[in-house]
Amino acid sequence: MLESLQFIYAPQIVNGLSIGVAVVLMALGLTIIFGLLDVINMSHGEFYAAGAFISVSLMTMGISFWFCLLLVPLLLIPIGFAMERLLIQKVFHYKDRHILTLLLTFGVAMVLEDAYKIIWGANPIKPSAPISGASELLGVMFPNYRLFLMGFGALLIFSVWILIYKTQFGAIVRASAYDKDMSSSLGIPVMRVYALTFAFGVALAGLAGVLLAPIYSVFPTMGRDFILMAFSVVIVGGLGSIKGALIAGILLTQLQSISSLYISPVWSDPLVFTVMVLVLMFKPTGLYGGMKNA
Amino acid sequence: MHNPQVKAIRIIELLLLSSALVLFVVGSILEDTFFLRLATEALIFGGLAMSVDLLLGIVGLLSLGQAFYFGFGAYLSALVLKEISPSFFLAIGIVTLSSIVLGWIASFIALRSKGVYFALITFGLAQVAAKIVYNTRSLGASDGMMGVPILQIWTPFGSIDTSHPGAFFLITLLTIGVLYAVLKYFLTTPMGSIWHAIRCNEDRLAYVGYKSKGPKQVAFILAAVVAAVSGALYPMLRGFVSPELMFFSVSGNAVVTVVLGGVGTLIGPILGSVLLTLFKSIIGTWTVHHHIIIGIVFVVIVVSAPKGLAGLFAKYLGKKHPNKGGE
Repeated sequence: MLESLQFIYAPQIVNGLSIGVAVVLMALGLTIIFGLLDVINMSHGEFYAAGAFISVSLMTMGISFWFCLLLVPLLLIPIGFAMERLLIQKVFHYKDRHILTLLLTFGVAMVLEDAYKIIWGANPIKPSAPISGASELLGVMFPNYRLFLMGFGALLIFSVWILIYKTQFGAIVRASAYDKDMSSSLGIPVMRVYALTFAFGVALAGLAGVLLAPIYSVFPTMGRDFILMAFSVVIVGGLGSIKGALIAGILLTQLQSISSLYISPVWSDPLVFTVMVLVLMFKPTGLYGGMKNA
Repeated sequence: MHNPQVKAIRIIELLLLSSALVLFVVGSILEDTFFLRLATEALIFGGLAMSVDLLLGIVGLLSLGQAFYFGFGAYLSALVLKEISPSFFLAIGIVTLSSIVLGWIASFIALRSKGVYFALITFGLAQVAAKIVYNTRSLGASDGMMGVPILQIWTPFGSIDTSHPGAFFLITLLTIGVLYAVLKYFLTTPMGSIWHAIRCNEDRLAYVGYKSKGPKQVAFILAAVVAAVSGALYPMLRGFVSPELMFFSVSGNAVVTVVLGGVGTLIGPILGSVLLTLFKSIIGTWTVHHHIIIGIVFVVIVVSAPKGLAGLFAKYLGKKHPNKGGE
């Protein structure tokens, strides 16, 4: 009994956690963007791929992985900022902006995905892990990089939480999400906050891409498979909720990795989607609804 | 016919119909296969786009999973033709009835939510279905099903062979035409007016004494039927079905088609599908990267002309005869 716990469940739980941390990073960006702007960012997965591709290119230019962790988000921030200003703001004042922004980001995703194919080719690239070797934990061997990923990811998630709930910038973001007219009359540059928040979410996705590139291969459609999971997490957790994204992210990835012990892994995806559809049916606002209620 | 939008729709209808007939005549004389098959495919995917437009443009619900019903129709039609009897009318009949049931069941799940939640739930439903089909061996799993037999379709003018590209093009044109006419008829009924009202302001509909639930459900089921019947034609054209038909790329492509052609016009999606299919085959001869161009055009249309090509055309007609125009 104890042995099965140690050798069957523990590795599965740890693997699930290392994926879970990355999924939560993606979901955080999505949920913050929705919480503030009411925009479903369909191109989020493509920014995740952008992070991975840019880091691959930077690393072949001789820049170290650690520096990429800093550089890639910084490169993505102006791109996200420009996209919000030049495209999303254009349709933001329409009545059906939910649908229009969704369509718009979907179009951007189409363009980006094809652009990656042209620039980097369609074949998967597999960068080597920056930390090699494995360590023993609970009597089971785990790759060091996965352990690093969990630690670093947890740190990042914690920093995002601090940023949103404990800093002045976070207070401004939450105030703008709660009442944009009131915030604006208090002198908050709401439009710039919108663009910055979008850029921040996009940068988080890019960072997740850098972190996951050594584990999964890098290819143009890599965002597509991952975005589904991130969407399910955001929906189950509640669109706009940071706490929800964290809890649902861990729950769903654990469900996926533990269920794959009992059922064929190909069925674990439908299982996660079924959970998502059930949540949408019975509690459409998810476990914790909205940044506004925070 | 004073409204420029109505006029634009009528002109596009006539344009599409006459070019279809010209293509049929010229194609049959020249014994062409390529263009007739291409046009048939454009019509089939146009039918799918039309079902997206019914939900998005008429009722105001964005479905990101319409490929579910399209793929359902395609698989069911392939199964009927292979296992039961190679009969066109039997396949269409069974697909129509089953998609009513499927749409009815799915409507209870999807219509619990609105706005972006509706978009995401339809997306999720289609993903679950696609994954299940992809992993079910009896449905051919990732390979799909091949060997759908060639049909003999009975008509008053004699039997028609689906392997004949011109004849099957006409059959497809007729089927999609019937679907279009049915949808158009629904728009003239009180139900059609309620759909428009739901799109404009669903909350206020209750103030004037109407419930939105029933009409929304009818629209959802109708969209499922249109998508499924369009899908049912696919294996007759290609002789096979594959799980790719249910993937998000098909649903997404249908949405792109609708937005390009013109949201809320029903004929716009057909126009969009014809233009997109033509564009892909022309540009496909010198590059595989057509998505980047379609994506850019799509983004530009969403930002600058949310009514699509049909909307631009209506605007042009309205400007040309400003005295006749009127909303």
